[in-house]
Amino acid sequence: MFPLDSPWNISFAGCGFLGIYHVGVASCLLEQAPFLVQNARHIYGASAGALTATALVTGVCLGDAGASIIEVAKEARKRFLGPMHPSFNLVKIVRHVLRRTLPADSHHRAHGRLGISLTRVADGENVLVSHFNNKEELVQACVCSAYIPVYCGLIPPTLQGVRYVDGGISDNLPQYELKNTITVSPFSGESDICPRDTSTNIHELRFTNTSIQFTLTNLYRVSRALFPPDPMVMKAMCKQGYKDALCFLKRNGLLNYTGPQTDRPLLGKKEENKAYDEGRDEKNSEAEAEDKPQMEAKVMLHASSSLDEHIIEYLPPAVHKALLEACMERRSLVQSLGSLLPVRMASAMMLPYTLPLESALSLTLRLLEWLPDVQEDVGWIREQMLKILKRILHQASRNFSQHVSARLFCHLELHHYRSLPSRASSTSLFPTWMNSSGSTVQDVFDWYKNRLMSGVLCIDMDLQGSFKTGVMPSDKSRVASFFQQDFAERKGYFNNSQSGKPAKPLSRSKSFW
Amino acid sequence: MDPAPAPVQNDCESESSSVWSWWPSWCPTSMSLLKTTESKILACVKNDLWARFVTLPNQDRIWTLSLTNKRTPKSAEQAPKTPLVMVHGFGGGVGLWIRNLDALSRSRTVYTFDLLGFGRSSRPNFPSDAAKAEEQFVNSIEQWRQGVGLDNMILLGHSLGGYLATSYAIQHPSRVSHLILVDPWGFPERPKPDSQQSQGDGAEVVKRPSPPRWIKAIAAVVSLFNPLAVIRAAGPWGPGLVNRFRPDFKRKFEDLFDDDTMTQYIYHCNAQTPSGEVGFRAMTETLGWAKRPMLQRVHLLPPSMPVTMLYGARSWVESSSGDRAAEIRGKAHTRVLLIKEASHHVYADQPDDFNRVVENICKSVD
Repeated sequence: MFPLDSPWNISFAGCGFLGIYHVGVASCLLEQAPFLVQNARHIYGASAGALTATALVTGVCLGDAGASIIEVAKEARKRFLGPMHPSFNLVKIVRHVLRRTLPADSHHRAHGRLGISLTRVADGENVLVSHFNNKEELVQACVCSAYIPVYCGLIPPTLQGVRYVDGGISDNLPQYELKNTITVSPFSGESDICPRDTSTNIHELRFTNTSIQFTLTNLYRVSRALFPPDPMVMKAMCKQGYKDALCFLKRNGLLNYTGPQTDRPLLGKKEENKAYDEGRDEKNSEAEAEDKPQMEAKVMLHASSSLDEHIIEYLPPAVHKALLEACMERRSLVQSLGSLLPVRMASAMMLPYTLPLESALSLTLRLLEWLPDVQEDVGWIREQMLKILKRILHQASRNFSQHVSARLFCHLELHHYRSLPSRASSTSLFPTWMNSSGSTVQDVFDWYKNRLMSGVLCIDMDLQGSFKTGVMPSDKSRVASFFQQDFAERKGYFNNSQSGKPAKPLSRSKSFW
Repeated sequence: MDPAPAPVQNDCESESSSVWSWWPSWCPTSMSLLKTTESKILACVKNDLWARFVTLPNQDRIWTLSLTNKRTPKSAEQAPKTPLVMVHGFGGGVGLWIRNLDALSRSRTVYTFDLLGFGRSSRPNFPSDAAKAEEQFVNSIEQWRQGVGLDNMILLGHSLGGYLATSYAIQHPSRVSHLILVDPWGFPERPKPDSQQSQGDGAEVVKRPSPPRWIKAIAAVVSLFNPLAVIRAAGPWGPGLVNRFRPDFKRKFEDLFDDDTMTQYIYHCNAQTPSGEVGFRAMTETLGWAKRPMLQRVHLLPPSMPVTMLYGARSWVESSSGDRAAEIRGKAHTRVLLIKEASHHVYADQPDDFNRVVENICKSVD
C-alpha cells in the first residue's frame, strides 16, 4: 500500500518523444485515481516529463497533449533526415504548442506544485524551478527543460535571465530518492511505473537517476527517444503507459475499481475527494492486516489480472479519440504521390541539391526569428568566449609557472652540486681557503652566507625559464615556499623578509657563477 | 574464534608473478585494493567476525566470513541453531550484506562467502557449457560446506546466488533446512514467440514490430563479450563509470559510508580477471535468460523443504515466477513475499524489513 498519510510527489522522467508514454500514465492516474494527482504535493518532470507534468498540473486535456506530441513526431518524420533536418525547429514548435494549449492562468496553478528540472549552463548544476511569474515563464521553463544541446540548437535559452538546458543532463528523475515519490519512466527498470519487459538481464544502468535495464526493447526505446517512431507505435506506447499505471495502482491497492467508466469527468472535484477518502479507508484496513500486506497485494493482483484485459482496451475516450485523429494520415494527392517509390528515390537522389537550398532557406528564417534576441545572445556568446579564454589563459599560466618553478628547482639543485667541481676552476672568485681539498659543501655555503648576508636570495630572472640562483641551504624550505608563490611576485627581486635588505642586483648574482 | 586480522597474512600471495608484473596495469585495481576496501566495509560489523579462506580439495580458495553474537554465551547443553548461509548475487561480494550481517547474526551463526570466481575467492576457468558451469559453482558450494563443517543450513541466495542455491538444494536436499530466495535470477523460461502473442494484448504486439535489425546486431556483438567487460576496458575510468552509472549503490549505503567506498568495492570486485562472469555467461542465453531455467526444475526440490521467495516490489525481477514456482510445488510449503519500496537489492534497500522477514523464517526453523 502506498503511504497516503504523508505527502507524496509524482516524478516524470525525461525521455524525448517517448513522452507519449507519460500521457498514457497521466490519463490513467487521472481517470482511475484522481486523488493521487490532485493531492500530490509536487509534480516533477524533466525534459518531456516536464511537459506532461505541466499538462497535469494545469489541467490541460491530456488528449490534446498526446495529440500534439504525435503531431510533432509526424512533423519530425516528414523529412528525409528526420529531426536532424535543418528546417525542423523543435523549440519553435514546442513553444507554439505550449502557448496554444496552456490556459491563461496556468502559472497560478503551477506555482509551487510543478517542479521543472533544468540544468544551469554556467556550472552544470541541477535546478528545480517551481515559481513562475507568468504564463510565458512557464512556457519558457518547459522549453528550457526540453532543450537538448546540439539536437535543438547551440545557444541555450534563458529563463529569468539565466541560461538553462535540458534537465535530463543533470537529473532526469527529480526527487526520485524521496520515499514517497511515484517515479514514472518509459524505460523498463526499477521505477514505480515503467514497462515490465519480460527479461531477466542482470545489467542495469542509471542515467542521471533513471534506472534503465539493459534489454533489447530498452535499446530500441532509447534510440526512439530522439528519432520518433511511427505514430501507431507511439499510440501503442501511450496505451502501454496506461496499462503500466493501472498495474501500479492495482499493486498498491489504490484502484477503486468499478468497471470501465466512460462517462466520468476527468477532473470531477467531488469525486476526487470521495476517492481520496476511499483511498484512506483502504489504507487503514490494510494497515490492520500488518503482517502480510504484501500477501494481500499479491492476491489482489491475481484476482484483478483477469479484469486487466477489459480495461486496457479503453484509454480514456477523450485521449483515445485525440490520439486516433492525430495518427490519421491526412493523405492528399501530393502526399500519396510523394510516397511512391520512384518519387522517393528521386527525392533521395536530389538530396545533395535540395538540402543546401532548404538549409539556406531555413537558416534565413531562423536568423529572422532570432533578430529580437540577437543582442542578448551575442552578448552571452561573447561572455562565454571571454570566460573560456580567461580559463585557458589561467590554465596556461599556471602550467607555465609550475613548469618554470620545477626548472628553477632543478637548476637550484644542479648548481648546488655543480658548485663542487666548479670550485677548482673558479679560484679567482672563491677565497683561497676554498681551494683546500678538505673543504665541504657546507663550507661553500657558509662562505656564501657571509658573502650574501643571511637569507638573501638572488635570482636571475629570465622569462625563458632559465634561472640562476644562489641560495642558502639553511633557508631551503623557505626557498621552496617562495617558488610556490605567485609568478608575479617573483618577477622582481626578492626582498628578504627577515633582514629587510634588498636582494643583490642581477648582475651581481650572475657574477658569482 | 580468532579475531579478523589473524588469517589475513596468507591471502595476498602469488598474485602476479608473471613477467609483466612490473607493467602498470590498465585498471587501477588489485586484490589488495579489494581487500582494503572490503576491510573498510567490514569495520562496521559489531559482532564477532571471523574472516578466512576456506581451501577446497582442488586448491581453490573461498573467502568466508562467519559471524557470531558476542553476548550469546557458548552454552554447551543447548544445541547450536542451524546456521544461516548467505550467497551474494552477480558481481557482488560479501561486503554487500553489511546492513544485514549484524542483525541476522544476533541469534545464530551467519556464514557468507564470495562465490567461486567472484570477490576475493579464487578465479578459476569455467567451462563454457551451461550445465558444467553450474556444476562447478554448485560443487564449490558443497565442498565449501564440507570445508567449514556444516551439517545443515538455512540457505539464502540473492539473484544469481538464488539460482545457484536452488540448484544446490536440488542436488543436496538433506543439507538445506530452509531455502530463502531473494529476487532470484534465472527462473522464468524464455517465452516462445507464439506464446507471447497469445498472452500479450494487442498493444504489445503492435509496439514491437520486432526490434530493428541493427539492434539485434548490437545485441549479437555485445553478447560476444563478458557481461562486465566494459568496466575493465574502461581502465582508469572504470571507477568513475561505476560511480556514474550505479550511483544507487552509494545511496543505498550512504548512512554507513559517506564516500565512494561501496562503488569502489563493486569496482574492485569486478575489475579483476573475469571468472565467475565467464561461468555466468555460460549459463545465460542472450539478454540474460537462463539456458536452464529453474522453473523447469523446481519440482525436483523435495516437497518437505520449505521455500520462501522474497521479491522487491520495485525490482525488475518479476515476482510472477515465484507464483509459478509455488504453483508447480503444489502443496509443498512455498511462500512468496513482496518487500515494499525495494529494488532488486532488497537487502540493502529495506534492510529492516528484510532482516525481520529472514529472522522470522530462521525462527521457524529452530
